Amino acid sequence: MAAVIRVRKSLSGPLGTRILLLLGAAILIVLVGPRIVSEGPSFFLQILTYGFADGAIYALVALGYTMVYGIIELINFAHGDVFTMGAVVSMPVMGAFGLAEGNAFGLSVGLTLVAVFFIVMFLTGVLNIFIERVAYRPLRNAPRLAPLITAVGVSFILEGIMVLWIGNSTVHYPDLLPDTRIPIGGTASIGTKDILVIIVAVILVVALTTFVNGTKLGKAMRATAQDREAAQLMGIDINRTIAATFFIGAALAGAGGIVFGLYYNSINFQLGFSAGLFEFTAAVFGGIGNIQGAALGGLFIGLVRAFSNGYLRAEWTDVWIFAILILVLVFRPTGLLGMRVPEK
Amino acid sequence: MVRARGLTVLIVAALAVFACGGSSSGGGSKGTITIGVSLPLSGEEASQGTPTKNGVLFYVQQHPTIDGFTLKVSAKDYAVNGSPDATRGAAVMQELIADSTVLAVVGTFDSGIARASIPLANQVYLSMVSPANTNPCLTKTVYTPGVLRANGQDVTCQAAGLPAPADLRKAHPDKNNYFRLATTDDLQGPASSLYAYNTLNLKKMAVFSNNSVYGKGIADTFSAEFIKLGGTIVLRQDYDPANTNNFKPFLSQAQKAGAEGIYYGGLSADKGCVIRNQMAGIFPTGAATPFLGGDGIAQDPACTKDAGQNAVGVYGTVASVNADQVSSAASTIAAFKQAFPNKADYGSYTMVAYDCAGLIVAAIDKAIKANSGNLPTRDAVRAAIAGTQGYSGVTGTIGFDQNGDNAAKIVSLYEDVSTDATADWKYIKAFDFGANPLT
Repeated sequence: MAAVIRVRKSLSGPLGTRILLLLGAAILIVLVGPRIVSEGPSFFLQILTYGFADGAIYALVALGYTMVYGIIELINFAHGDVFTMGAVVSMPVMGAFGLAEGNAFGLSVGLTLVAVFFIVMFLTGVLNIFIERVAYRPLRNAPRLAPLITAVGVSFILEGIMVLWIGNSTVHYPDLLPDTRIPIGGTASIGTKDILVIIVAVILVVALTTFVNGTKLGKAMRATAQDREAAQLMGIDINRTIAATFFIGAALAGAGGIVFGLYYNSINFQLGFSAGLFEFTAAVFGGIGNIQGAALGGLFIGLVRAFSNGYLRAEWTDVWIFAILILVLVFRPTGLLGMRVPEK
Repeated sequence: MVRARGLTVLIVAALAVFACGGSSSGGGSKGTITIGVSLPLSGEEASQGTPTKNGVLFYVQQHPTIDGFTLKVSAKDYAVNGSPDATRGAAVMQELIADSTVLAVVGTFDSGIARASIPLANQVYLSMVSPANTNPCLTKTVYTPGVLRANGQDVTCQAAGLPAPADLRKAHPDKNNYFRLATTDDLQGPASSLYAYNTLNLKKMAVFSNNSVYGKGIADTFSAEFIKLGGTIVLRQDYDPANTNNFKPFLSQAQKAGAEGIYYGGLSADKGCVIRNQMAGIFPTGAATPFLGGDGIAQDPACTKDAGQNAVGVYGTVASVNADQVSSAASTIAAFKQAFPNKADYGSYTMVAYDCAGLIVAAIDKAIKANSGNLPTRDAVRAAIAGTQGYSGVTGTIGFDQNGDNAAKIVSLYEDVSTDATADWKYIKAFDFGANPLT
């Protein structure tokens, strides 16, 4: 059964990959090379840590896009807003547990935070199951455009709810984590916040991969992704499996929302709109439907952003991200690691 | 009901006059003159808008009649669902225009609403006197003058994507109907440069902006004046606020280039003070590394919250006078606080609005006298306001140039001295660019 999902390889094959790598390397060397040399290695290391922390957050949310697309080929536009909802919902949950800014970080705060993570992940998961039940399931056999539009609709509804809830300006998110800088060579240092963000992302990605590859429900997901009807004939409850996928994707997005809030301490209702765009891009970049691909794609976007902001001009950052995306997709239409989608 | 109450007020006022021995020239027997007020009175800006309205109310309370006419205030709110709304602003102006007793309007608070209101008021010669608008293009054809930019070239209103003053006064281009007491945004940057270079003794600065017309404008003028003074701008970054959350790469770059402080052009809503927060760990925290900006961050509790533990050492400019620091205003402020005892009744623009009302009433008085004691036209009042020179208001001497700008061009500087968002920012000093123009 492990071989049922075949990785579709790009048509251009090894040659395309080679040209892509050469082009990418050439651009990198011409533009950033001299700056990297002149700024020295510890600055490089410093920018690298920022890129990893940023990328970890992108990766968490990209996973949800990739899972949903993998199983029902729907671009869930509302996913970015579920991510924002995670951050918004977590604030009153923290309040209920008595977590507030200024609490000295210790074991009790840490454990309470873990509890907050689980509660919020559960809540966003349930929210996403509800969304799937109301806006996507009735349209499962409708033309592809219909659920796409309901997804856009859900996205606006969620944003509207959040405007009513937290208002339309930026909201401060409690700063609960310590940010001690740990030197990592030369003048470079990594903050404890950076480390925590990366650790949370790695744990969740590994857990998800193990879950999808190693459990019965994971196997059902893969079977449903490959051929819905056949899976149903084999006795798999399709509705339950798809709902579980939405639950897990949203739980990760909810966790991503908390991580975002704790890391940047500032959220607003529209966060998911632009963040969602980049996270979806990350999923496509890595190969949509592919869990490791989404994680890699998120990491990549975080790194490009950090390097462009650190070495070049900020106005160009989005240009670089999408220029590289176009290059990759032209040569590897299925993304870096190849996409995994239902065979039709 | 409303008319009946108005009558009662009239009678009480008349009795009061008789009781005082008739020192004032008769009651309001000749009719009513209304001062319109167009401000955000609900939602996010109400905490600024309502105290501003109170300034007008207090002036009229103190001066209930003028030359035999009864003075009245008609205050209207242009916020919709908590936010200032240009369409509502235009509707408010139409309502004020429709009331024939309205001879002048105090407002607006937001430059965007002024842009929607001026053309309507211009059609009927109705004067607007704003206590707070700072967008240069409401009165001037140039958004950022060349003398305030490094390359010496003007940024015109057209280039900044804004209508020029003439576009807002199409009905009667020769009859300017818009005046303001606040000065313009282009002077905010230089005020910070002067303070950063001369007082904070910073010689190398990094400059960030939120890539908006406003943010880039004040960032440009800061940079130009800072360089003129002898300083160096080591890094300039204009970021996209929607997509940028991690500012540490910029900050590391700035630190590496030797920046001793940061100037930020933009709003707290565009993560300006999140930048300040992320400076911790890269730059020495607190006052050791100053962070300066314009009225987009100044005195904003949201900025203090976002900056978190690194809030101390944030400076912000406001393109207006601070009445609390003007000795001539002290007795009026004390009287105001007696009449309006709640803390929230009084705000930064209360006394400025008081002066707006004062100079409007002085102009109306002049127009009535020129019309042999009869009700003057809106155009006559407009001409009298336009001719305002050397009016001694409580916040200082006020006079308008041909564009409608106040001759006194005061920018006040404030410092965030506490991580407590509810604490007031400390007033540092005022720069008067009217008395000391930049060259």
